[in-house]
Amino acid sequence: MSEAPLFKPRFNAAKPAFGILVFLLYVFLLAPLLIVFVVSFASNQYLSFPPEGFTLKWYEMLPKESTFMEGMKVSLIVAVVVTLIVLALGVPVALALDRFEFKAKAAVQSFFLSPLLIPSIVLALGMVLLFGPLRLNNTYAGIIIGHVAITIPFVIRTTLMSLATTDTSCEAAARILGANSWTVFRRVTLPIIAPGVIAGGVIAFIVSFDEAVISLFVAESGLPTLPVQVLRYVENSADAAVAALSVILILISLAVVVIVERVMGLRKALR
Amino acid sequence: MSETKLSIVDLTKRYAAGLDPAVDRLNMQVEEGHLVALLGPSGCGKTTTLRMVAGLMDPTAGSIVVDGKEITHTPVNKRGMGMVFQSYALFPHMNVEQNVAFGLQMRQTPKAEQKKRVAAALDMVQLGHLGKRQTRELSGGQQQRIALARALVVEPTLLLLDEPLSNLDAKLRETMRTEIRSIQQRTRATTLFVTHDQDEALDMADRIAVMNGGLIEQFGSPTDVYERPQTHFVANFIGQANFLDVTIISETGPAPVAGEASYKVDVEGLGGFGAVGAKGLTGAHELVIRPHRLKVTLTGEGHDALKGTIERVSYTGDALSVAIAVGERSFNAQLLTTSGDLPRRGDTAYLSWAPEDAYLLPAAAPGKAS
Repeated sequence: MSEAPLFKPRFNAAKPAFGILVFLLYVFLLAPLLIVFVVSFASNQYLSFPPEGFTLKWYEMLPKESTFMEGMKVSLIVAVVVTLIVLALGVPVALALDRFEFKAKAAVQSFFLSPLLIPSIVLALGMVLLFGPLRLNNTYAGIIIGHVAITIPFVIRTTLMSLATTDTSCEAAARILGANSWTVFRRVTLPIIAPGVIAGGVIAFIVSFDEAVISLFVAESGLPTLPVQVLRYVENSADAAVAALSVILILISLAVVVIVERVMGLRKALR
Repeated sequence: MSETKLSIVDLTKRYAAGLDPAVDRLNMQVEEGHLVALLGPSGCGKTTTLRMVAGLMDPTAGSIVVDGKEITHTPVNKRGMGMVFQSYALFPHMNVEQNVAFGLQMRQTPKAEQKKRVAAALDMVQLGHLGKRQTRELSGGQQQRIALARALVVEPTLLLLDEPLSNLDAKLRETMRTEIRSIQQRTRATTLFVTHDQDEALDMADRIAVMNGGLIEQFGSPTDVYERPQTHFVANFIGQANFLDVTIISETGPAPVAGEASYKVDVEGLGGFGAVGAKGLTGAHELVIRPHRLKVTLTGEGHDALKGTIERVSYTGDALSVAIAVGERSFNAQLLTTSGDLPRRGDTAYLSWAPEDAYLLPAAAPGKAS
């Protein structure tokens, strides 16, 4: 938004100071990423800093490292399925919470948003115990259920935010013009709340792809996801292959963000 | 004689048991091609009534009949109506043409015909050149016209307008008033128009339903409700009014308006004055006189005149509003300004009125609360 400030400070003594503050904050946030980036090209035998020389061998190693490839496959499948499920569940839940008054509304709302407040280690422990007798440990279903639980709050939150700012008379107008409920949803509601829905979907995907604790508890031995594989790898060997992998992952996340930004404007999506 | 397009029978809406109904056994008949204004203060039930006619809200009781068919429980999307919302409710993700075409798409009108009708509808609201624009690029007045085109393109059984002018600035509001009215008359769309603005209602409507507390206080033409208010509320809500408690002395003969009679009335302590009202009135009544119908002179004592003192003068250029104290009472009068001396505070003034400008409210009028 390019809104004019209410007043202009008469002299801008604060401006350079603010600039320095912002710069320091960026350094603080990005320094770890930067180090990982540098280390991934370093020829050091072990994960360490500063670099002793330049090499691409860690990147060349990645495709041959079957644990990473396996983990990547599992993580991608899980993240995609989780995203789809979470959208299919979260959007209707958000709609219901926004549009209807019902008895247990507050309870339903807290239920769906509560995973944000519970430490994931507690959730993970509970899931292992619960999934044991259900034979869900070490299965895709198990990991996916776990991830759906922790990502659904994001989709509900972002969708609710979009819904809160929409004019419900648009839907009324569509109905009067002859659209049935499903058509109203498909042609009017969904396009209007799309920014929130997509933002929720992107966040759900990234959170699921990145999730380590639940995956570790529920499926470490049978179906390790990429973060789990990375953890194991670092436990056993100390070379910079994980750094190279991290760089690839950062680039993938960046690509997702850039695509969303290009297609619809991230600012709009996260508004 | 025109046919009845819409009839509303004993329509009632109660939001919750125990609450007063928002709409209370409302009855109304709307003739084909008429524009009917539902006029009243906020909370009078006018919007609730409109939403029930649209099907956006279920009535608690009563029925709605359009073209002789009961539609009380017909789903919204099967009623074939057109509605313009206060916020216009244009679809933000569609351009102007797509917005207007939406209703036709729902009716599965052939593509070629859709195109023709959308173009015609946009031409009708003089926005034929803006078809490809995004709606957010348009001004309020333009959005308003698009909303009107979108509602009319489907040739709706009824056109429903929910305070469509309240988001426009004063100048534009007057232009749109004339334009909506002329489009409505050209298309002969039977229209229900919700407004709290009496000027809009008087200017645009064929019939006005003045609503208060979920009831229709009076249903009639603009001149009816202004000149012949049936209740204190109507007289007070539409235009300005002076009220006087009077007792009828005698009926003195027929009045200029057929079906009415002239009366001699006693204004408590002030003497006898002329008035008109329905035939056969006796006893205590209330007299209504519009401020601009009061004759005010500063010099001569006229026949039947009341002597008073000017309490307050407010000057608005073309007119002068004066408050004149007569004993305990205060009258509001409106005078056209002239180039000569204007009355000032403290001046003595004489008040009188023509008998036909003083209307007796029917005695049946309950509750004077306004």
